[in-house]
Amino acid sequence: MSILITGRTLGLSILIVITIAILYYMQQSFSGKMPKLRRLQAVDAIEEILGRCVEMGAPAWYLMDTVDMTTPSVLAPTVATFQILSYTARMAARLGAKFFVPVTQGLAYSIANDIVEEAYKAEGNPEGFDPFGTVMYLPAGADRMYIINHMWSEQIAGAFFLGSWYHTAVIFTENAARVVALMLGGTDTTHNIPFLVAICDYSLIGEELYALGAFVSEDPTQTASLAGQDMGKYIALILILLGSILATVGFDISGIFAW
Amino acid sequence: MSERLYKIQLPIFLTALFGILMILEHFFQMPSVVAGFNVTMRSFVTIVSAAALMLGIIFLTIAHVRTISEKKSEWYYSIFYIVSLLITAGLGMVGVRNESFLWIYNNMTSPIGAALYSLTAFYITSAAYRVFRARNWSASILLVCGFIVLMMLIPIGAIIFPPVVPIGEWLRSFPSSAGFRGMIMGTSLGVMGLGVRVFTGRQKEHLGIREERAGGE
Repeated sequence: MSILITGRTLGLSILIVITIAILYYMQQSFSGKMPKLRRLQAVDAIEEILGRCVEMGAPAWYLMDTVDMTTPSVLAPTVATFQILSYTARMAARLGAKFFVPVTQGLAYSIANDIVEEAYKAEGNPEGFDPFGTVMYLPAGADRMYIINHMWSEQIAGAFFLGSWYHTAVIFTENAARVVALMLGGTDTTHNIPFLVAICDYSLIGEELYALGAFVSEDPTQTASLAGQDMGKYIALILILLGSILATVGFDISGIFAW
Repeated sequence: MSERLYKIQLPIFLTALFGILMILEHFFQMPSVVAGFNVTMRSFVTIVSAAALMLGIIFLTIAHVRTISEKKSEWYYSIFYIVSLLITAGLGMVGVRNESFLWIYNNMTSPIGAALYSLTAFYITSAAYRVFRARNWSASILLVCGFIVLMMLIPIGAIIFPPVVPIGEWLRSFPSSAGFRGMIMGTSLGVMGLGVRVFTGRQKEHLGIREERAGGE
């Protein structure tokens, strides 16, 4: 009996190669060799949005939509979003911006609450954190009316739409656009990327959501890991070209997926 | 036990251990002991999640009680919340198959949810108006493609201009699919990078930890 599950050898091989590439670049960063990376516009957008909120005396909202951490496809973007939340909350505490984080799932609520509280403490502004109001648990479904209503009544000046977004992406971003909030949107759910890109002032497309977390971490090792991910793109590009050529000349390559 | 060990190192170690076990289970034939252990771990997630939900409800209720006691704006809605919570939770504890509880779910929760979901249609319309404006070349291409696909999907579109169907189908099958697949590949690579950073303990903000770092420490 084979130890490997049939049909998963190729996936495992690619996973190992990319993991080694990521670890290699992380290791390189220890010796000060940093790969050249494009700076994401969203990094500066966070400060701009919070700065606008401080100037206007209006709150900044950090919305994450679906944060069901028991669903694997939602877990990864949620963890990535928590890292950005940590940075954003610290900056909000530093600048003195009113910050509000509604969360629709219990487990994510506990984590987000901890992250924001720690951020306010780290910035020497613990009194700026309201344990019952800065991060608020809103049951999924009921959150929509609360968020729409309060977006209008509080006239928010800035909003972050990051994480795993579904149909509420349209509802919330459209309302935020109507109250003229400056917005940063980013998701990895492919069918909602177009809405966030079109409506938000700044946007993160797909994997940029994961990259932003590493960028704002101020940790060179994390930033360097992004270069390792790019190796995966090169591998994908080579495999696509190779597969296209082989398929065009009539070579059947479907067999390799059955290994 | 030092604070750093149980607050930082232990959670990172446990995350890496359980995460790697789950990955191994996907690729390898695992002994039944390990497979059973993984199933138990997954049920733990549900239990922890339920406990965290209670925490969320308690904090939300405290916030509403505070709103009532301080007579903040629209405080009367908070009374409505507390009364609804008590009735629904009370009936739910009697039994989730209880007739009254099911009546609330079927006749109140479910239709309200459907009504809220239906709001999307109206917002999509106004969002489409915002998006589909020929401000520049890129927006114009988006406008033309969006219009073709829309015409393809509505019955009258094919009657007015029949070629709209093959063109729309081509747009959806080739440029659109290719773009989406590229995004999915990029996202998968992003998830791999995230996994490596979390398992190696470089990324730990999800644990509520953000350490100040110096250089490439």
